[in-house]
Amino acid sequence: MNFEFGRVALVVLFALLPIVGIALGFFVPALRARGPLFVAFFAGIIPILSLYIPRQFLSGETGMRPRLDQWLIIVYGFALLLGIVNVIQNGSRKIARREKGWPYSAVLMTGLFLTGGLGIWGAVSGQGITTLPDGSGTPFKWIADHFFLPLQATIFALLAFFMASAAFRAFRARNTEATILLAAGIVVMAGRVPLLEFLSSPFPPLQPTAAVASQGLGKLTEWIMSTPNGAAQSGIIIGAALGAASMAIRVILGIERGYLGLGGGE
Amino acid sequence: MARFFDKLLNLDRRWLFLLVFLGVAVPIILPIGLPVTTTGPTRSAFEYIEALKPGDYVIISFDYGPSSAPENDPMAEGIMRQCFLKKIRVVVIVLYQLGGLQLASNSVAKVSAEFPNLKYGVDYVNLGYKDGAAAVMKRMGDDIAGAFPTDVRGTPLSQIPIMKGLRSLRQVSVVVTVATGLIGEYWITQAHQQSGVPVIVGPTAVGAPKYYAYLNAGQLVGMLGGMKGAAEYEKLLAARYPELGRFYKTTRAFTATKGMDAQTVIHFVIILFILIGNIAFMSRRAAQKKA
Amino acid sequence: MRTGLLSRARERRPQFAAPLLASLLVLLSSPAFAASPETSPPPAADLPAPTGFSAKDRPGDSGNATLLTWKDPSGVPEGAMIQIRRAVPPAYDWTDIATVKLGVERYEDTTAKDGVVYRYEIAVTVPAAGVSGPPVVSDPVASHDNWFSKDRTNSFIASVLFIFILLISITMAKSGKNIFIRRIAGLNAIDEAIGRATEVGKKVLYIPGIQSMDEIQTIASISILGHVARATARYGADLDVANRDPLTFASAREVVRSAYLEEGRPDLFREEMVNYVTYDQFAFTAAVSARMIREKPAAIFLIGYFFAESLILAETGQSTGAIQIAGQADPTQLPFFVATCDYTLIGEELYAASAYLTREPILLGSMRAQDIAKGIVIVLGIGGIIVTSLGLTWFPDLFKTK
Repeated sequence: MNFEFGRVALVVLFALLPIVGIALGFFVPALRARGPLFVAFFAGIIPILSLYIPRQFLSGETGMRPRLDQWLIIVYGFALLLGIVNVIQNGSRKIARREKGWPYSAVLMTGLFLTGGLGIWGAVSGQGITTLPDGSGTPFKWIADHFFLPLQATIFALLAFFMASAAFRAFRARNTEATILLAAGIVVMAGRVPLLEFLSSPFPPLQPTAAVASQGLGKLTEWIMSTPNGAAQSGIIIGAALGAASMAIRVILGIERGYLGLGGGE
Repeated sequence: MARFFDKLLNLDRRWLFLLVFLGVAVPIILPIGLPVTTTGPTRSAFEYIEALKPGDYVIISFDYGPSSAPENDPMAEGIMRQCFLKKIRVVVIVLYQLGGLQLASNSVAKVSAEFPNLKYGVDYVNLGYKDGAAAVMKRMGDDIAGAFPTDVRGTPLSQIPIMKGLRSLRQVSVVVTVATGLIGEYWITQAHQQSGVPVIVGPTAVGAPKYYAYLNAGQLVGMLGGMKGAAEYEKLLAARYPELGRFYKTTRAFTATKGMDAQTVIHFVIILFILIGNIAFMSRRAAQKKA
Repeated sequence: MRTGLLSRARERRPQFAAPLLASLLVLLSSPAFAASPETSPPPAADLPAPTGFSAKDRPGDSGNATLLTWKDPSGVPEGAMIQIRRAVPPAYDWTDIATVKLGVERYEDTTAKDGVVYRYEIAVTVPAAGVSGPPVVSDPVASHDNWFSKDRTNSFIASVLFIFILLISITMAKSGKNIFIRRIAGLNAIDEAIGRATEVGKKVLYIPGIQSMDEIQTIASISILGHVARATARYGADLDVANRDPLTFASAREVVRSAYLEEGRPDLFREEMVNYVTYDQFAFTAAVSARMIREKPAAIFLIGYFFAESLILAETGQSTGAIQIAGQADPTQLPFFVATCDYTLIGEELYAASAYLTREPILLGSMRAQDIAKGIVIVLGIGGIIVTSLGLTWFPDLFKTK
C-alpha cells in the first residue's frame, strides 16, 4: 500500500474524522454539528493552502488538492444516483395517484428508462455508448441527436421571444435612471447591427448618410460597452469577489452555517 | 385614445411573439444582404492572428454547447480557416461537457475538408474532451500531454507529429476560447495568469459585456462578441483572403453574416416595441395627470 | 597554308583568351563584384556563446521542473537559435531537450525528476547550416518542491490582511458594538412574498440556481432557503424547491427539514417539497417553466447562479403574476432579472443575506470587514490612477500575481 502523507491525511480528515464525529454525535448531540463543520473547514482550507504552498503532498499531481477534486467527482456521481431515485419516486407517485399532470411523468419515466437503459447497455456490453465498433452511431446517439439536441436548441431559442416581451414591458421611462437605461439600450441595440442601412435601403439617396451615421453609432456603442459598462462590470465583479471571499471564510471557519440547516453564526 | 393606449400597454404577448417570429423567419427566407461594420475588439483579435507566423501554435478551445452553436460555430470555423490559410498549427481541445466534443468534431471535419492539402496530425489535431476546466488549464500550463494523453482517436501524443514541438501552454502563441459560461473566464483568470499565454475570447452576445472589463485591463488580446463578432470576423477574412470572400458569398451553409440580416430586423422590431410602449405609457400618464 | 608570325599570332590568340576569360570569371564571381553577395556559413568557432547562463530549481512550484536563464549573445546570424541539452552526471550522455528562439532567454525543463542531479548545456546553433557554437555548461542542479510560491506573495499578504480585518470586526461585533447595515429591499420583501402566498393559498417556488455546492452563490442561496423555509413553516405556506444539481438537492432537503423542525412544524414537511428535476440546463428550464404555468405559484425565488435560462424562468414567472425575488452575484444575467423581477439582489447583496436576515452580530461584523476591504480597494484604485498618471508604473506591478 502507498502510505504517502497526502493520501493518509485525506483519509484521516475526510473519512475517520467524520465517522468519529457521527459516532460521538450519538452520545453527545451538541457534537453532531461539529463533524460537518470540521469537514467543511478542511475541504476549504486545503485548496487555499495549496495556492501558496506548492509542496508535492499538497499541490502535486497526486497531492491532497487534486485528490480532493477527484473525490468530489466521485461523491457527485453518488449524489446523482440520489437525484435519479428522487425523480423515479416522484414520477411513480404521480402516475400511481393520477395526480394533475401525470401523463408528463409517464413520458419522463419512459425517456429516463429508455435512454438510460440504452446508455448502460452500451457501456456494459462494450459496444460503446455513442459509437458502435463499426463506427456507426448507437440508438443512444440517435436519441441524443434527434431529440436531445433539437429540444435544447428550441428552449434556448425561446429567449428571443421572451427578450422581446420583457423589453416591451420593462423598458419604460418611469424616472431618470430608467430613461437613461432605455436610451442606452436603444443606442446599443441599434449600434450593434446595420440598422440605419436597413432602414435606408428603400431610399438610395439616404444610404451614404446612413452608412456614415451607422459608423458613428457603432463607435458610440463601443464606447458605451467599454467605458460605462466596463466600469460597472468591474465594480460588480470586485464587490462580488470580496463578498464571495468573505462568505467563503465564514463557511470555512464555521461562522456561516445556514447551508447545513443550522442556525446563524456563533 | 386613452383606451387604445391601455390596450396597447396590455397587449397579449402572443402578438409580440408572432411579430418576433416573422422578424426572424422572413430575413432568413429572403436574405437582405446588409453590410457589416467591424469593431475594435474583433479587429484586434484578427490582427493578432494575422501577425503569427507559419508553424506557430494556436489552441482553439470549444467551450460551448449546441444551444449557442449558431453564434459560436462561425467564430471557431472562421479562426480555423484563417489559421489553415496561414499554415499555423491548430490544436483543438474541448472543455465543455454537454455536446462540445460533437460540435468540435463537426467543425474540424467541415473546415479541414476545405483544405485537402493539410494533414491531420501534422497541421492540426483534435485532442478531444477533458473534464475539470480549471484543473486541465493548470496542467496544460506545464504539460499538455499530462492533461491530454491521447488525441480524440486514441493516439498517444508522442506519436503525433504536430505535438512534438509543443510541450506546454507557454509555447502556444494564442488560445482562442469560444465559450459560453464560465470556462472563457477561467482561461483569463487561470491560464493567462499562470502561464502568460495570450487569450482571445469568443463569447455569446449575452456574455460579451462582462469581458470588456478584461479587455480594458489588457488580459485579453481580442474578442468576438456574439454573432455580430463572428460576422465581423467573416468580413475581415473576406477582405484579406479573396478565396474566403468567394466562399462566404457562395456557401449555402449558415454563416454569421447571413444571421445578421435576421438580427438586424429583430433589433428593429424590439426597438419599435419599446418606442410604442413608451409612447403609450407617456400618453396614458399625461391623460391621468390631466384627469 | 600560310605559316609564320601571322599564323602563330592567330594560333596564340585562343591560348590567351581562355585563361583570360577564366580569370575574369573568377574575379567577377568574387563577392565584391556579385550582384547579391552570398554569406557563407560561419565556422563553429565564430558563433558567440550565450552569457550569464544559470540553471536552478524552478521557484515556487511542486517540483519536477528546473529553470534555465541566460543572455543571448549579439552578432548572431539570421536563423540562429539556442540549443539546450541535458545530462545526468557522471555519465554526461548529453540529450537534446529543446531548441529555443532568440529573445526568449529562459526555458523551464518540466521533464526533470525531483532529486536527480542534472547538468545543462546551451549553445547557439544555426539549424539550417547545421553548425553550433561553443557550449556553455551549467553547475549541477536538482529540482525539488518548494514551501512557498513567491509569485503569490502579494495575494498572500492581501488574504492574511483580509482575514485579520474580518477577525477584528467579528471581535468588535461580539463586544456589542452596533453595526449599521443599509436597507436591502429584496431581502425585506421575502416575508411579504411568503405572506402573500399564504393569503392566496398558493405555493412558494424556490430555485437555488443551477450550479453545485462548490459554488459560493449556491451556498448563499441555501442559507436564504433556510430562512424562507422557516417562514413557510411559520405561516403554513406550501414550499416547492426545484433542483438541477444533485448535491444541492441533498443539501436543500436537509436545510428545509431542519427549518421545519426548528419551527416546531415537522408535520408540515413533505419529502416531495424538495425535488430533483434533471441535470440538463434547458430540460430543467422547460420542466420548471411548465410547473410555474400549471401550478401558478404566488411567490418565486430565483436566487443563486443562473445562466441562459434566467430570462426564460423569470419571464415565465412574471407571466403567471407571481411576486418574484431574484439574486445573483455574477453580473451576466442580472439585467434580465432586473427587467423581469420585482426585487433583485445584486452582487454582494446576495452574500449579505444571512447577516441581514438573522442580524447576528458575528455575521454583521463580517459584513463590516467586507466593506473595509472594499474601501481599501477603492483607495488603492484611486491611488493607482494618480501614481500611474505620474509615470510611476511600478505601482500596478505590485498587484500582478500568477
